[in-house]
Amino acid sequence: MDIRLYALTTCPYCRMTKRYLDDHSISYEIVEVDLLEGEERQHTIDEVKQVSGGTSFPVLVADGEVVVGFNKSRIADILGL
Amino acid sequence: MVDSSARRVFHAGTTLDDLKAYMGPFAERLGYKFNTETDFVDEVLTSELEILERDGDVYCPCRIRTGDPKEDLKIVCPCIPFYRDQFAAIRKCWCGLFILNEVDDGAELLGVIEEPGAGTAVDVPVARLEDLPPDSVRRVKVGKNDIALARVGDEVFALSNICRHAFGPLAEGFVDGYHLLCPWHGWRYDVRDGTTDHPNADVKTYPVTVREGDVFVSVTIGRAR
Repeated sequence: MDIRLYALTTCPYCRMTKRYLDDHSISYEIVEVDLLEGEERQHTIDEVKQVSGGTSFPVLVADGEVVVGFNKSRIADILGL
Repeated sequence: MVDSSARRVFHAGTTLDDLKAYMGPFAERLGYKFNTETDFVDEVLTSELEILERDGDVYCPCRIRTGDPKEDLKIVCPCIPFYRDQFAAIRKCWCGLFILNEVDDGAELLGVIEEPGAGTAVDVPVARLEDLPPDSVRRVKVGKNDIALARVGDEVFALSNICRHAFGPLAEGFVDGYHLLCPWHGWRYDVRDGTTDHPNADVKTYPVTVREGDVFVSVTIGRAR
């Protein structure tokens, strides 16, 4: 399953989500949006808006599902944990 | 709308205690308090200090600056005035740094960032009763609702801020008993039901409740952004 996590380095829920995925040995791609610059940053913000409808983080995209925030029960459901 | 000229700007050297001393009373007047999870509060505020150093202001750690100054102003902490209806529906700000005054345990609100569905009614705190002098009126914006909040004696009423005559701002008018007079041409509305002496020109009213000193106006929620 392709899993992508859009995150900010400053965001507590992003840290919680990363910890949760790591604790369950889930492999995922992480995009730390606040570290990006220029066009790449803008392009990624647009992408986040498109998938989540907003600019709140973290945004987890897995198996066609989108989870905004550290919603542990939804993440567990989607990943079968 | 927050008056940017009056807004506190933080500088390098700002401490956690500085942020708490400013934000606590600010949030309280809006019906919120710091989360009861004190470690979480410190974690969020520590992130905000990093953001202050990097980006020049205490932007929300859970949201990103888009580069549009007008939009970015809306994520400077505490951003409660810009999202009153959404936050009241989820009983906290996006991060959970702030929770409604009436929430006892903030731990159970942590984690989820959910946009409430459009069309649901929600009680939104708009003022402390003690901040409204008797027989006075003030303007509050809740989502797209432009509201005149009038205190008559110990009762509080909420009605549309827009006069039906020439769109004058009722919140700049005068309270006379149970009537609110438009400052422009003196059209008179009953604050209890929005009725006026003129035919087909009543204004919308909103249910108001006062709980533990917080004044709540019930609105139907709109789109988050």
